[in-house]
Amino acid sequence: MSLLFSSDEKRQGAHQKQVSVITKFIYFLVQNLRQIVTSIGEIWRTPVASAMTIAVMGLSLTLPATLHIIVKNVQSINLEWDSASEISLFLNDNLSEQQISAAMHRIKTYNEVESLVYISKDDAIKEFKSSSGFGQALDYLDNNPLPASFVVTPTSQHRQAEAAKQLLLKLEREREVNFGKLDIDWLTRLNAIVSMLEESVFTVALLLMVSVVLIIGNTIRLSIISRKEEIEVMKLVGATEGFIQRPFVYTGIWYGLMGGFVAFIVVTFVVWWMQSALSEISGLYMADFLIESLTFSEFLILMLIASGLGFSGAYWSVHRHVREIEPDLD
Amino acid sequence: MIKFEQVSKTYPGGFRALEKVSFHLERGEMAFLTGHSGAGKSTLLKLISMIERPSIGNVFINGKNLNQITPNQVPFARRDIGMIFQNHRLLQEHTVFDNVALPLVIEGIYTQGEIEKRVHAALDKVGLLSKVKCYPKILSGGEQQRVGIARAVVNKPPLLLADEPTGNLDPELSKEIINVFQQFNDVGISVLIATHDLGMIARMKNRSLTLKQGRMINDGLTQEALI
Repeated sequence: MSLLFSSDEKRQGAHQKQVSVITKFIYFLVQNLRQIVTSIGEIWRTPVASAMTIAVMGLSLTLPATLHIIVKNVQSINLEWDSASEISLFLNDNLSEQQISAAMHRIKTYNEVESLVYISKDDAIKEFKSSSGFGQALDYLDNNPLPASFVVTPTSQHRQAEAAKQLLLKLEREREVNFGKLDIDWLTRLNAIVSMLEESVFTVALLLMVSVVLIIGNTIRLSIISRKEEIEVMKLVGATEGFIQRPFVYTGIWYGLMGGFVAFIVVTFVVWWMQSALSEISGLYMADFLIESLTFSEFLILMLIASGLGFSGAYWSVHRHVREIEPDLD
Repeated sequence: MIKFEQVSKTYPGGFRALEKVSFHLERGEMAFLTGHSGAGKSTLLKLISMIERPSIGNVFINGKNLNQITPNQVPFARRDIGMIFQNHRLLQEHTVFDNVALPLVIEGIYTQGEIEKRVHAALDKVGLLSKVKCYPKILSGGEQQRVGIARAVVNKPPLLLADEPTGNLDPELSKEIINVFQQFNDVGISVLIATHDLGMIARMKNRSLTLKQGRMINDGLTQEALI
């Protein structure tokens, strides 16, 4: 593209290269590819500073990613335990055996009820004696203060907190039942903690993302300043803003990708470490907690976010600082 | 080729660098621009290369008014002007080849083969083909300046601007450099050289434009050429 001269008047004899739009586009892509590759070289040019930037970025992304994993795993625990809810129905005193077994049969016919276990007054006191350690003291009581109870397990459709509550109300209307108890208070609390964590993931992630953008922006700014002379020369020989800015933006994206990868490695390590800490607890609870780490799609999202942050930081910085550099003759 | 029409340039702060300067450099002409430091030589070159814009008046290149060129078009317009600087402004961490190839790479419409061919041709013209793989810092001052000239001519611009190209060189090397310019002028390129090397101007017998405190006090044009 010649602005001041039409191509035929541009130097007699010397043929000016004519290219079609498509060829131009292909050359543009090739030029970009070359810039993408050389922008890695730019990172390599200042290895220590680049490593610091990448490390800071990686660690900044590790925190929200780890919080995300915690929330994800607590939610899955929540789901498991939520469905294991049981309803304890405490029966009125002075019921005859017939009344109890009649009630048992009636409740068993409920569609919502999967199974029912009867715990008699004697069973209750025996269990309490063995588990509470008050065995001796209980012997001094004249009569057994514990009520008989049914432990009802709802069918799977009625195990969710809301449905189980409905079932509890229905069961409480049975005349043999004194009162029922659905132990979901702790679930409600867990839910509250999880949603608080979720919220904090967003807040923390947002803050750290802003700081990542600023870090990248500053690194790119320093890189621009250190190449001021080169940028001036390029401007003098006819480089467009885009041509000068692009390598810096690509460098920013590379920083992002590398930072994202560092975050992935650190998160994997943290999960591995938490797993070994948890295996002790799960040993105590005789349950198996397996922490689910980042899935492949989550890894891709992490990389996408990281490169996006790198891009934004670099773009913001480049837009401000490359334009500021005005060439001079000396 | 270059035409100034009543051009004045006042810098922010009120310093008047050029005042009502008018001249016309014909196509294929080679001229010297001279004057003391601070007389306005650099400002005049900056107006041509669009580093600065005139406060009043118009600058034309090939009949095109530079006031009409938008900031986004400036890079494209600069590709038609080969510029040579006093301190040559080579990129020290790149080879001679990469330095000379820079304008072609920026233009982005050449294959590697074409770039190589043109870079070699340009370096051949300034007699430095053997130094193609060297880094600028191992070259002498004169050689660095010639690399700068090769970079300026590699994309075959119709116009060359030089700002004190011999300022840092001894007379022998200066002569060499000016001869290089003369060779390009011989094949039709218009050349404007800012210099205060009066001896050289006298030797070359080219047209010389003299600035004094921002005014054009002498347009050393023969009467015939004026018509």
